[in-house]
Amino acid sequence: MASRGGGRGCGRGQLTFNVEAVGIGKGDALPPPTLQPSPLFPPLEFRPVPLPSGEEGEYVLALKQELRGAMRQLPYFIRPAVPKRDVERYSDKYQMSGPIDNAIDWNPDWRRLPRELKIRVRKLQKERTTIILPKRPPKTTEDKEETIQKLETLEKKEEEVTSEEDEEKEEEEEKEEEEEEEYDEEEHEEETDYIMSYFDNGEDFGGDSDDNMDEAIY
Amino acid sequence: MTQAEIKLCSLLLQEHFGEIVEKIGVHLIRTGSQPLRVIAHDTGTSLDQVKKALCVLIQHNLVTYQVHKRGVVEYEAQCNRVLRMLRYPRYIYTAKTLYSDTGELIVEELLLNGKMTMSAVVKKVADRLTETMEDGKTMDYAEVSNTFVRLVDTHFVQRCPLVPATENSDTGPPPPAPTLVVSEKDMYLVPKLSLIGKGKRRRSSDEDATGEPKAKRPKQTTDNKEPIPDDGIYWQANLDRFHQHFRDQAIVSAVANRMDQTSSEIVRTMLRMSEVTTPSGAPFTQPLSSNEIFRSLPVGYNISKQVLDQYLTLLADDPLEFVGKSGDSGGGMYVINLHKALGSLATATLESVVQERFGSRCARIFRLVLQKKHLEQKQVEDFAMIPAKEAKDMLYKMLSENFISLQEIPKTPDHAPSRTFYLYTVNILSAARMLLHRCYKSVANLIERRQFETKENKRLLEKSQRVEAIIASMQATGAEEAQLQEIEEMITAPERQQLETLKRNVNKLDACEIQVDETIFLLESYIESTMKR
Repeated sequence: MASRGGGRGCGRGQLTFNVEAVGIGKGDALPPPTLQPSPLFPPLEFRPVPLPSGEEGEYVLALKQELRGAMRQLPYFIRPAVPKRDVERYSDKYQMSGPIDNAIDWNPDWRRLPRELKIRVRKLQKERTTIILPKRPPKTTEDKEETIQKLETLEKKEEEVTSEEDEEKEEEEEKEEEEEEEYDEEEHEEETDYIMSYFDNGEDFGGDSDDNMDEAIY
Repeated sequence: MTQAEIKLCSLLLQEHFGEIVEKIGVHLIRTGSQPLRVIAHDTGTSLDQVKKALCVLIQHNLVTYQVHKRGVVEYEAQCNRVLRMLRYPRYIYTAKTLYSDTGELIVEELLLNGKMTMSAVVKKVADRLTETMEDGKTMDYAEVSNTFVRLVDTHFVQRCPLVPATENSDTGPPPPAPTLVVSEKDMYLVPKLSLIGKGKRRRSSDEDATGEPKAKRPKQTTDNKEPIPDDGIYWQANLDRFHQHFRDQAIVSAVANRMDQTSSEIVRTMLRMSEVTTPSGAPFTQPLSSNEIFRSLPVGYNISKQVLDQYLTLLADDPLEFVGKSGDSGGGMYVINLHKALGSLATATLESVVQERFGSRCARIFRLVLQKKHLEQKQVEDFAMIPAKEAKDMLYKMLSENFISLQEIPKTPDHAPSRTFYLYTVNILSAARMLLHRCYKSVANLIERRQFETKENKRLLEKSQRVEAIIASMQATGAEEAQLQEIEEMITAPERQQLETLKRNVNKLDACEIQVDETIFLLESYIESTMKR
């Protein structure tokens, strides 16, 4: 590249080739040197043509997005194990056990793989899918129903005036309810399936749950 | 592997299999083949995670292994195969157009799971189809396996290399890794299976509300303990065959654009006749006589033999040389020049890129140089009939972007510029390579942008998903219209607007990816076919 030899300051006569050949006239000044990198997003000189639309394109597009979603749900999508948190919580028992590092979630055909790759296979839980169900804290509803009930009973009892009995009754009622609750939990504990979707430690729900949707869940 | 390709591989792996697999895969692509412990050490990943990642990569045919001396197993990534993940939607769509929904699901399952046994595919697809059908109707296994057999017969699906049966297992320790054997004659041989049964519906309907069905590996539904009849025979999608189909379609539509519908139908017939007889990398199809072509024309296509002959002569005379005449016997023997056709398609792609990037006047210069092969600067200015100064500007711009290359021919051995010819020329192969590289870069940029957009709006997306789930569950329990509306209002108007913008952007970016991949396909096929010669 002999043409590079001529420095900027050397004047035109120093160049080893005829500058007119590259389109610089006799009187023209040489283009100024570039001292900074070209802009990161230079203005577009030509606008791109719109994407072709059509049924085929839309279908392939839908397929692409669906495939992306499906891939994430497959056991081939390996997630790192969640690091142990500060304290052991009671609720941890009821949470879906997250991914673990030392076991594989699907069942490869080991005959086709080198022996050294063999790793413990984790049984797939059947209720894997249930966690997708809309979660919400069930407590709020009960509280609400409870309070409404309480208020209603109180209202009635106000009319009846006898205050001592009321308290007793209320207590009784409360006890009954508590018993019911306990009983429910015991019953459900056997059906892990239900508990999984039912239990919520409130972490992924901001507590700002709207009361509107109470009825929908039950 | 160029940096752009590695970057794209990394994004694709991460999107489909998560961070860990991406780390291992990219490491393998960068370094070539490596043994297990070295991978674990170099990537700083725990051995168990490396094993898991390698299992996934091998299952999806993205990594191969080989036993070296002293029993070390080395793993090697198939970079080109990783890049094919970009084309998965197109394979699935092709299967749909050819073999309807059943074919679509078969190919989709094979791509999602890498490789599967036939019985597993048939069961899974039948289940999935049953779920989309009305209540009371079910999909028969026999029907699905019929479609499967047809896909195999047309080579869209093929067997994976087999693990040879080891009889002498007691002599010495077993090898550290099985050696997979490809048996050419069994490649497309479907084992005799009696798959009787019907697709089963999942009991709960709640899962349907979440959209895509969970693809659970059917093998794990171990409720039937009976031995699987086709155990060990795995199938995979034959991507080369799909590429052959894409190429044929591109040629047919190019002929349709250049001449007319009838000639494209003739070319289509010729391509279909030689589909299975011509290997996918061949530069020409098998010669076909005009009589044969006449007999194979689709029924209801009413053209006389004479008209066909005229069309064939016309096609053979066309300067693009898609169709060539190879002999006179049998009423004239014709071939399709696949290599030339791919060359023309790649050149057309280059031309249109120049036109869209630099404008029509630059495209004129580009075509001129293409046509005349070698031109001096002065000649370019004259032939293009563009003022000298502008022509120079354009020429240099294309030169600096590597669409046009410069050939020096010195008159004297000292290479003095004043005594040297400077010839401008278009090297189609290198220009195509350059463009291909750019395409990889653009796709990587598109994916990155899409991920950025989604990340920016993560909170909003999660909210809308949750609201949708609530609405769906409410509809299932039969809630009132007013209640539904109230819930819908949980997403405010500006939020809704933001969501819509996001959706439009993501759709656009996704559509761009698909579009760029089509260009990638053309350029790759051209480069591949040129390199084979």
